[in-house]
Amino acid sequence: MRVAVIAASLAAGIRIATEVERVPSVDVSIVCCNLEMRSPLIRWLRECGLALKSFRWQTYITKLWAYAHSGKLVILNQPLDDPTTVERLRALQCDVGLHAANVIYREATIAAFQLGILNAHIGILPGYRGRSVAQWSVLRGDPVGTTVFFIDGGIDTGSRIVLRAVIPSGENTNVRALKTMLFDCDARLYRKALEALTSEGFAYEYNDISHGKRYYVMSRILNEVVDTILGSRTS
Amino acid sequence: MDLETGVSECARPDRHQKILRTALLQRRAELRKAWRHLLTVECLKQLGSTAPYVAAYLSGKDGFRDWQMLSLRQWTDCDASLPEMLISIGLGENIACRPSAGVPAVFTCANFKKLSGKHRLEALCVRYRCPLNIGLESEAEIAEELLRQLMVADRTRLEAEAEFDVDDVLLKLNLIAVCAGTKRDLRFLDALNYFFELPQRSLARLGRKPHFLAGWLCLYAQLLCAPDW
Repeated sequence: MRVAVIAASLAAGIRIATEVERVPSVDVSIVCCNLEMRSPLIRWLRECGLALKSFRWQTYITKLWAYAHSGKLVILNQPLDDPTTVERLRALQCDVGLHAANVIYREATIAAFQLGILNAHIGILPGYRGRSVAQWSVLRGDPVGTTVFFIDGGIDTGSRIVLRAVIPSGENTNVRALKTMLFDCDARLYRKALEALTSEGFAYEYNDISHGKRYYVMSRILNEVVDTILGSRTS
Repeated sequence: MDLETGVSECARPDRHQKILRTALLQRRAELRKAWRHLLTVECLKQLGSTAPYVAAYLSGKDGFRDWQMLSLRQWTDCDASLPEMLISIGLGENIACRPSAGVPAVFTCANFKKLSGKHRLEALCVRYRCPLNIGLESEAEIAEELLRQLMVADRTRLEAEAEFDVDDVLLKLNLIAVCAGTKRDLRFLDALNYFFELPQRSLARLGRKPHFLAGWLCLYAQLLCAPDW
């Protein structure tokens, strides 16, 4: 199976690729986007900053070199939905894209991958679609977790769920810590999703959106309520 | 599959309810002080004879009225105008409604989205002249679409302090408030929370339409006191 990590930075791409390449029979590439169309100087200064934050230099350089040397590192200068970009993505002949780019994909970009693009959504589908879903789950007393599913043109409406994982909020005493913890699970969950996809007899779960709601960015007051709930849980 | 069971029904512990209720009542206390920054003396003058009741309600004690009791099972008509109705509901007054002789044609979300800004506003004003009708099950798709529009496009414009259609945004805020009251769906109330927290400079523009603004603030004040979110 050929897989491409669609990442907002090299650091994010390498972090996820490092985990995913552990799956036997998976061939990983990294596609690094320039989402905000930054100038080359700003872009590469940012990349260096992120790399310094995330990795030991030696590991980073080694991985970067290995991907670049094997032709599995694609640096995009145009937007993801630009026809030239879509063509480059198609040329990779990947089965699966892994979303790590904080962007909403157009149909043409999704279609550049044979099976589609996987998203690690920090909410349990089909119940919790949209934004601030980790906070809404806490507020409603429902399980917090992540769903890995193939996206479509809508907001968390893709019908094919690969896995759902309940992740206890544990010692996280505020919203920011909880969301960071959930987002940091993406690489591990992508690996598990790919393991599932490549396993024999795998079947998708149906994301029946009639059984859920779309949520929106949460107000300050309710975020504070969730902070209080999380804080009181561990005190 | 790591998750064996489906998403459970809402099982929010009582403790969450208490924390939430405390926060909402604190917001109500905040609103008692803050409303005059939005609904200025000039705005109050334009409200005419309703102004003293609105001012007293927003700054005073709360007379909570449970809208679930008011929620309708069939299409309803009223004699008052839409802004009058919104303020009356917000103030918790007795609403003079009667069952409608006929039910208006189905208004699909797809058709609603096709309308241009001006026509959309007109369509909403006509269809929901008795605003409680937005809470009917048949209108659920439209209610969701209004919530989406408010929390995606309109929110983005107001956050950026860009130009926006005051009538359109205020009408949606009022209808969403009625939905919050009839459906008891916290997402709808939180849209009101979110807009109340937007930059003062954006909110100040809402004063161009004092009746709709007064309706929204009274409805919001009423909802913050509801006990069962």
